[in-house]
Amino acid sequence: MKKYAYYELSVIQYILLIHGTQVGIGVLTIPRELAEQAGTDGWISLFIGWAAAVLVSLVTTNMMKRYPDKTIIDIFHLLLGKYLGKVATILMAMYFAIASIVFIANTTAIINVWILSQTPAYIIVALFAIPAYMVVQGGMRVIGRYSELVFYLTLWMPLVLATALKDAHWLHLLPLIKEGWMPILTASQTTILSFLGFEMAYFVYPFLQKKQYASIGIVVANTLTLLVYLYITIICFAFFCPDEIVEYVWPTLNLWKVIEYRFLERIDIIFLAFYLFILSTTALPYLYFTVFSTSQLFNSRDHRKHLWVLLTLITVMAWVYTPSFIDLKKMTQTWSYAGLIFAYLLPLLAWGPIWLSKRAGGKEA
Amino acid sequence: MAMRGWLRRKKTSVKDRLSHSGEPVRVREISDQLSENIAELNAIFTLTPDLVIRTFDSRHAGGKVTLVYLTGLVDKNSINNNVLRPLLSHREGESSSIFDLLSVGKVTVVYDFQTVENDILKGSSVLFIEGRKEALVVETNGWPQRALEDPQLEASLKGAHQGFVETDSQNIALIRRYIPNRELKIKEIWVGERGDTKLSIMFLADVVNPEVLQELEDRLGRIKVDSILNTGELEEYIEDNPYSPFPQFITTERPDTTASHLLQGKIAVVVDRSPSVMIAPVSFASFFQNVDDYSIRWPVASFIRLLRYLAFIVATFLPAIYIALISFNYEVIPLDLILSIGESREKVPFPPLLEALLMELTLEMLRESGIRLPAPIGQTVGIVGGIVIGQAVVQAGIVSNIMVIVVAFTAIASFIIPNYDMSSAVRLIRFVMMVLAAMFGIVGIVVGLMALIGHLISLQSLGVPYGSPLAPVRFSDWKDLFVRLPLWKMLERPTGARTVQEKRQGDNQPEGDAK
Repeated sequence: MKKYAYYELSVIQYILLIHGTQVGIGVLTIPRELAEQAGTDGWISLFIGWAAAVLVSLVTTNMMKRYPDKTIIDIFHLLLGKYLGKVATILMAMYFAIASIVFIANTTAIINVWILSQTPAYIIVALFAIPAYMVVQGGMRVIGRYSELVFYLTLWMPLVLATALKDAHWLHLLPLIKEGWMPILTASQTTILSFLGFEMAYFVYPFLQKKQYASIGIVVANTLTLLVYLYITIICFAFFCPDEIVEYVWPTLNLWKVIEYRFLERIDIIFLAFYLFILSTTALPYLYFTVFSTSQLFNSRDHRKHLWVLLTLITVMAWVYTPSFIDLKKMTQTWSYAGLIFAYLLPLLAWGPIWLSKRAGGKEA
Repeated sequence: MAMRGWLRRKKTSVKDRLSHSGEPVRVREISDQLSENIAELNAIFTLTPDLVIRTFDSRHAGGKVTLVYLTGLVDKNSINNNVLRPLLSHREGESSSIFDLLSVGKVTVVYDFQTVENDILKGSSVLFIEGRKEALVVETNGWPQRALEDPQLEASLKGAHQGFVETDSQNIALIRRYIPNRELKIKEIWVGERGDTKLSIMFLADVVNPEVLQELEDRLGRIKVDSILNTGELEEYIEDNPYSPFPQFITTERPDTTASHLLQGKIAVVVDRSPSVMIAPVSFASFFQNVDDYSIRWPVASFIRLLRYLAFIVATFLPAIYIALISFNYEVIPLDLILSIGESREKVPFPPLLEALLMELTLEMLRESGIRLPAPIGQTVGIVGGIVIGQAVVQAGIVSNIMVIVVAFTAIASFIIPNYDMSSAVRLIRFVMMVLAAMFGIVGIVVGLMALIGHLISLQSLGVPYGSPLAPVRFSDWKDLFVRLPLWKMLERPTGARTVQEKRQGDNQPEGDAK
């Protein structure tokens, strides 16, 4: 019995949904983070992060292949039994909830700093809740279409950004590996986390129409993400002075600030506003899988009520407590650790038992 | 959610009240006594002065015959020539069966008064014959109707100049003229307890998706209302999302548009007594297509297509962008430009949102007042609106020059959208965007756009995605989306309607001289 057949995703939607989840706030900060740790060699660590992400995604996909019609939650219930399964589901939902909340808090903070400095944070969160509800209420089908459409809608961004290249100083990148491999390896800690998002495969896999492309798809998604990060990092490194770049919190935005036309200035504001589209493709899947997990927990078929509650909760939270920048950093740390456990460790740990149990089960049958 | 549930509950209670539940329907058989039949008729049709009951002797029937009809709903010539004359005059050697004498195409035999009543009300005439427990229903329908005219709402340059009229049989004939094919099937459904409207569902049986057709039939079958007076009413009862501002079906008054949609595997519903035909399932993109697109050269047609999408964006967002740039994000505009805008706004006392709302509302009023005015008075609206308001409002310093330009440009842009329903939806959304822009600047506009996209891609028309071929992306359909490629490139039917038969044409590419 195929539970999720109704909302099938095409391969391109599968790729772009995972890619969309991976690319988020990271693009705005990653040049600085890399420069802090590895100087202008930082871009090399992106490849290390990519390799790790691809490896784990392949393990994840392989694990999911054992149960082609089940999400991770169904697998939890199958392997761990009713009560432990519920506990695992709650943990999963908490991870996704933390991810969505941290992400929304970060987005709100950037908008607050960069564009709407007078607007209270909770009003901005309430504003974001409107499109979030409209997309997420449609479920997997609509989120898949949304991610795909947004990818095409934002293709102009790298093209416009290329105009900054005329002032680039490629010498900044040389010499390669100037301080040895150590800084590059340290910086790869950051890059590994910026590929978070491939854990969507836990949920998206059963929705995929042509399962034979799952492995290729997830590699393509990771590679697309790598290209985006590489592009932005190299442009930033070539454009800014290596000492200057560390000063900016969001170097990518500063890069946009430089681009100017005779009829349009401060393109960074327009860019950041439109970048909300890309940010939304990260936030919406996390929101959806939070309510997906909780609605499975309560055995309800309608995730919309849970979505209502979640969005209201987030808005109220933003009203009660507006995190400072240090708090935000701590929250992001928490998300990173959770991501490390749920996205990287979980498949590595779970793959062995699942593989063995399926093998044993296969022999019996 | 709670509100939605409440609305639904209320709807069902209205439905219950409408149906005449409780009383079993009384079926009266036709008697063999004419006087009894006439008495029954008089009992059914009280206070009906337009009912004609004519009793006369006919030798063919071997006795008395009664002819009943509603004057005005029947064709008098047909009654005189095809019913009365053959029955009254008698020549030797003629067949004596009444049935054979009536020189009318459709004659049916009925046995109960329920049918008789319905048929009389729909313009047939009924013959009762002394000594027979049956009646003949003769199709003599002929009510007042207008001649074929140019479509008013959807004028076209090169397309046909015949529009639908209020009689469904005529409309079906107009469509059949374009598709003389046996696969063009019609299913009839009667809707409405009192109005009893005939709906004819037309489709190409070997192309249309049977599931979509079934869905439409189910939804039509569920309607329980007094009467459907117009196609627009029908639409509202069967929409997928009744809370959306966007039209989810196309209503057209052009037979050639209808035929083109039928050939694409869509379904047309011809509503009797309504001059517009409903087409389903449709996508967002099909509201930007027009028959003329296919009869002008394809590069020009593509250019016009692009213009329409641009117009959609302008009509939705331009006032909002203006408000956002003036009141929020003025750092985006270069200094010289902002100075000149500031100069024109120098005397204006209102904030940009109020200024824009004032002008937009004026425009909407002008537009609405123009629609239902008789042509001779209509010109006054133009003069008052254009010269008096446009000119004076700027000189009085109530509205800036640039605002007038923005509003005028928006108005022109909204007229380019070829479908009236769609351009009305845009009008509404424009105001939402303006408020969002006034509250949050560019971020508000982007969030509004996000919500708009989110809404459009989750909408469905008869269960078929509304955003197709944009979301879900179907590149094969893009040949007829933003641009219109040459017709010989479109080898397959668009996938939007999930057709069963995909191939549309063979290889027709003209060879030209170059080869």
